[in-house]
Amino acid sequence: MQDNLLETSMLSLQLLFSLDAELWDIIGVSFRVSITAILIATLPAILVGFFLAMVDFKGRWMVIALFNALMAVPTVVVGLTLYLLLSRSGPLGDLHLLFTQPAMIIGQVALAFPLLVCMSHSAFQSIDKRAWETARTLGANCFFAVTTIMKEARFALLAAVLAGFGRIISEVGCSMMIGGNIMSYTRNIPTAIALETSKGMFAQGIALGLVLLILALLLNFTLASIRGKGRLV
Amino acid sequence: MGLELTASNIVKRFGERELFSIEQLQVQEGESLHLSGDNGVGKTTLMKILAGLDKPCAGRINVTPNMKGRWSTSLHPKVIYLHQTPYVFSGSVKDNIAYGLKLKGISRGQIKRTVQSALEWARLEEFADHAAHSLSGGEKQRLALARAWVLTPGLLFLDEPTANLDKQSVDSVTELVRKMVDGGAAVMISSHQTNPLTEVCQRSLLLADGKVSESQFPKEMLFDA
Ligand SMILES: Nc1ncnc2c1ncn2[C@@H]1O[C@H](COP(=O)(O)OP(=O)(O)OP(=O)(O)O)[C@@H](O)[C@H]1O
Ligand SMILES: [Mg+2]
Repeated sequence: MQDNLLETSMLSLQLLFSLDAELWDIIGVSFRVSITAILIATLPAILVGFFLAMVDFKGRWMVIALFNALMAVPTVVVGLTLYLLLSRSGPLGDLHLLFTQPAMIIGQVALAFPLLVCMSHSAFQSIDKRAWETARTLGANCFFAVTTIMKEARFALLAAVLAGFGRIISEVGCSMMIGGNIMSYTRNIPTAIALETSKGMFAQGIALGLVLLILALLLNFTLASIRGKGRLV
Repeated sequence: MGLELTASNIVKRFGERELFSIEQLQVQEGESLHLSGDNGVGKTTLMKILAGLDKPCAGRINVTPNMKGRWSTSLHPKVIYLHQTPYVFSGSVKDNIAYGLKLKGISRGQIKRTVQSALEWARLEEFADHAAHSLSGGEKQRLALARAWVLTPGLLFLDEPTANLDKQSVDSVTELVRKMVDGGAAVMISSHQTNPLTEVCQRSLLLADGKVSESQFPKEMLFDA
């Protein structure tokens, strides 16, 4: 068993560094899908977060609580919901999106959105109301005032985006259910690991796990250094 | 074409509680007013309403000439409100002074020259490239004045600008405000006590019991005291 583990580990490294086509294909799908999803989700989510922080309306606390709750919904539940919507007999079945990359993107947008809303809401909350008033009184219209506030909150907003990306690139439940784990198309890192492991083929799984591990380290070091820059003044 | 602000029947309530109700208040070009009143009577709230940053529950505020574009969501470009403790944007002192200018689509060269003269005007040259956050309270107050000065305001609301300043800073802020007044700007300064800065003012208003009244004590008497 000892030998076996060592052997598989060596094999996994070999796979990574020999630029194994299948392996890098899977990594490519993961990044393509998750980067697209985060690009789609970011701006609308930040605007919702801004709205929730700045505009006082009836039932605001309920909306905030709702987004907080959505953030905690397990990925398989999001996957199940979308599966029911997108499957052939479902209300959106005519779009034929089930088991496609667009379906995975939709799922990841749905996963990232509540997290981005909550984190950008608290980012904006920590910005002083005087920032808005100062921008306005110095001649900024509402649009420019929003950009000014976004700039003031940029470190916290970037942290939100990185956290959102971290959540979706590593999630397995939703991608598996509505992506279908089709090689070269919808097989991404997490679904590939799940599949390979279930087949008893550990090398590829370990290699892909390493990629996720390195990514997690990179994201968190970036986050930590951003936090350092965004220290209290 | 002097700037003139007229507020009529302004009412402000927070929930059930009525903060103030003001029938008529006028500020004309070149005037300088001291708005006095105890803590919590609503000086800040009133000035923010007059400056367009806050909405009254009833009443209207009219500034002539109206310089807003028809579809503009901006406030009146010549009316500026300065907070008791200024908010400085991230970035350098220069960036802060340039903020309002950049919004007006002025050429870079022009912005640079104006920022330079504002730095000299407020004696902030030595801090030009410092992070604005690192300035002291008095320096931030001067920065806030410079940031407004570049926009050549016609009416300036100063909310207790000297509240946390030492004597020397009060003097330098007073000097800057006096220069603005001499330049033709109208100013309204709130503070609950008189100080060198409020002596710049010709008129004195008192906010008490939800009403504004022309104060009983004309400026001359303050000098005698
Ligand atoms: N958003 C708000 N909601 C409820 N009450 C408010 C709000 N803003 C201000 N108030 C209340 O209105 C009153 C007047 O506040 P304001 O800041 O205008 O007083 P002020 O005269 O400027 O006082 P100070 O001299 O201490 O600066 C205060 O009692 C304050 O609690
Ligand atoms: Mg006040």
